[in-house]
Amino acid sequence: MTRWERSVPVYGVPVITRGFWALLALIAVGLVLTAVREVVGLGSNISGMSDPFAWGLWKTFNVMVLTGLGSGGFAIGIAAWIFNNKKLHSVMRVALLTSFLAYSTGLCMLGVDVGRPWNFYWVVMPWTWNLHSPLLEIAVCMSLYATVPLLLENLPPLFEYLIYEFPQWRGIAEACESAMKKVYPFIIGLAYILPIMHQSSLGALMILGGNRVNTLWQTPFLPLIYVWAAAFLGYNCVVLCVLLAKLAWKRDVDPDVLAELNKLTVWIVYSWTAFRFVDILFRGKIAHLFTDPYALLFWTETALILGPAYILSTEKGKKLSTMFMAHAVCALGGMIYRFSPTTLAFHAKDGATYFPSAIEFIVSISFVAIAVLVYLLAVKKLAILPGSNAEWLKMAKYEEQVKPGIQLTGYAPVEH
Amino acid sequence: MAMTRREAFKNLAKGSLPLLAAGCVSTALPEVAHAEEEKVAPQGALGLLYDATKCVGCKSCMVACSQANDLKPDTRTDGLHQAPPALNYFTKNIIKLYRTADGSDHSYFKQQCMHCIDPGCMNACMFGGLRKDEETGVVWWFGGKCVGCRYCEIACPFHIPAFQWDGFNPKIVKCELCRDHIAKGAKQPGCSEVCPTNAVIYGKREDLLKEAKRRIAAAPGKYFEGKVYGEHDGGGTQVLYLSRVGFDKIGLPNLGENSIPSGLKYSHMLYKWMALPVALYAGMVAFAGKNFKQHTHHLVDDQKKTGLRPQL
Repeated sequence: MTRWERSVPVYGVPVITRGFWALLALIAVGLVLTAVREVVGLGSNISGMSDPFAWGLWKTFNVMVLTGLGSGGFAIGIAAWIFNNKKLHSVMRVALLTSFLAYSTGLCMLGVDVGRPWNFYWVVMPWTWNLHSPLLEIAVCMSLYATVPLLLENLPPLFEYLIYEFPQWRGIAEACESAMKKVYPFIIGLAYILPIMHQSSLGALMILGGNRVNTLWQTPFLPLIYVWAAAFLGYNCVVLCVLLAKLAWKRDVDPDVLAELNKLTVWIVYSWTAFRFVDILFRGKIAHLFTDPYALLFWTETALILGPAYILSTEKGKKLSTMFMAHAVCALGGMIYRFSPTTLAFHAKDGATYFPSAIEFIVSISFVAIAVLVYLLAVKKLAILPGSNAEWLKMAKYEEQVKPGIQLTGYAPVEH
Repeated sequence: MAMTRREAFKNLAKGSLPLLAAGCVSTALPEVAHAEEEKVAPQGALGLLYDATKCVGCKSCMVACSQANDLKPDTRTDGLHQAPPALNYFTKNIIKLYRTADGSDHSYFKQQCMHCIDPGCMNACMFGGLRKDEETGVVWWFGGKCVGCRYCEIACPFHIPAFQWDGFNPKIVKCELCRDHIAKGAKQPGCSEVCPTNAVIYGKREDLLKEAKRRIAAAPGKYFEGKVYGEHDGGGTQVLYLSRVGFDKIGLPNLGENSIPSGLKYSHMLYKWMALPVALYAGMVAFAGKNFKQHTHHLVDDQKKTGLRPQL
């Protein structure tokens, strides 16, 4: 049985593949369409958005859904560093990388979506802030999170890369690393409080939607339900990433860590679902669960999220293929949930509908492609994906053959 | 009723916020719910009173509005007539027709910004791109602070702010009660100035409210529910409506008496003085610090065993 003891780069596979070129082509198309959008505007020839449905795919999918999936960095981080769940340290680097990519591409997408992005510079002038606006809270917290704590948390693999591959940089990289160690608890504290704040504010956004958001979703506790959904989405995403690594590059899995991740996913999903029902009960909307035209959507979400969680809690969930499907379906349910208050269960105006245009889809996917491309590059060059010490030794042997002079074992610490 | 609901929230919060320090929240909840002061209209609040029973649907107010605001007429429907289907970035004011399927009943109605006392759009706006004039209460758009995020459109229950969907450097377009037009010397907004039947009149909100109530008293049973829409609806608006048919028929949603931003009062108290976030941060740093120390010791031990460089 394999133990995940350290992060090991994916080795012995080409970086430039056909998939790499395909992603690059998609990104190129997306960037051209983005340029067109900037000049032409967001009108009906570009997007499916309209005054009643002023928010579309780019905000809901690339920001709300993807930062939800990219919440592993804080959701798993809190379990690992605050609740001292030692097993989970092994997947932290995957969590942090997915978080960073989700947030950074999401923020770029936001810049494309808004009409006057150049006015965003006010964000650095706190006296212009409207402290009542949930969106202001998100704008400040999300940009701060992505550019400071999350970025810093992602630096150690880069430092290591420099240390191993560029001996002349070793001194500086090690100095940076040890400096980071001194302030690390302050960084990760920030890396947890900021997402708790802005992931909940994503929910607070739609409170201002008033009764246009269907009553099954609209609640003063929307912020709490949103941040909680982010938590299980983050777990889903990280488990899917390590299982995909097994599928794509035959990386070994540590059943203990996976069991721990599954256990926490199940716990978060159960409590989240229970809370939603209790909320509906206390608001006196139980009847809507059966009579409301949107009830089917509610039950679909609940089934897609709760069903897989139940499977994960049984013996069947230990089989990797079942586990993969369960997390994928659960993530799908969570993503649909995040679509509901803004789009699916949002009754904008009688007769008003929204369906994203082809251009919206392509641009949206092309920004995801940027994240995927950087992820693939990163896991092949840097120590991100979890593996065993034995795996590291195998990797070292391979790399030392390919790149003579490189030394990946027998490390002697520098005295400071 | 109010008491049980508050208790309900309190219990909910208690049972469900281990993540967010439940105690803090539930004790602060009832207090803050009271502390949130109700917003009132400014002293010199200006507005419109639109009486749907007087409107003949001539649409001259739409033309006058376009002229007063230097708006291009929206002729996109047939390339000839100014015939916008709804409020949009060409159109700050519109006359529409409500008619039953069999044509037995109808009423015209006018749509423009309601100039809410506690506007959802302004509450939503990040940097103050939408503002409320302190003296007149007119809600207006300031482009220098607008990011074009369109959150105002989500937050407005009346579907008023319109985004300029086409072209570079888009604007948010909405009725500003002709504040520029009046600053240039006009006595009143374009719409009320030209209305041939005085279906829409301009004045101070308190005077308009008195006039509306006078009309209701003078003709009992004429007006829907004997009510002035906007006196209390959505926390009160500076544009007031009288109608014979139901308000929901003429595009005025049933909002209750609470303003849209008041829905956020439970969220705001989590951020009161930033006390809760700061306390949470301090607590997490303390735990993380302790666990981090343990973890680094563990890393050093590992390195001695394996000879591999420890990973942070």
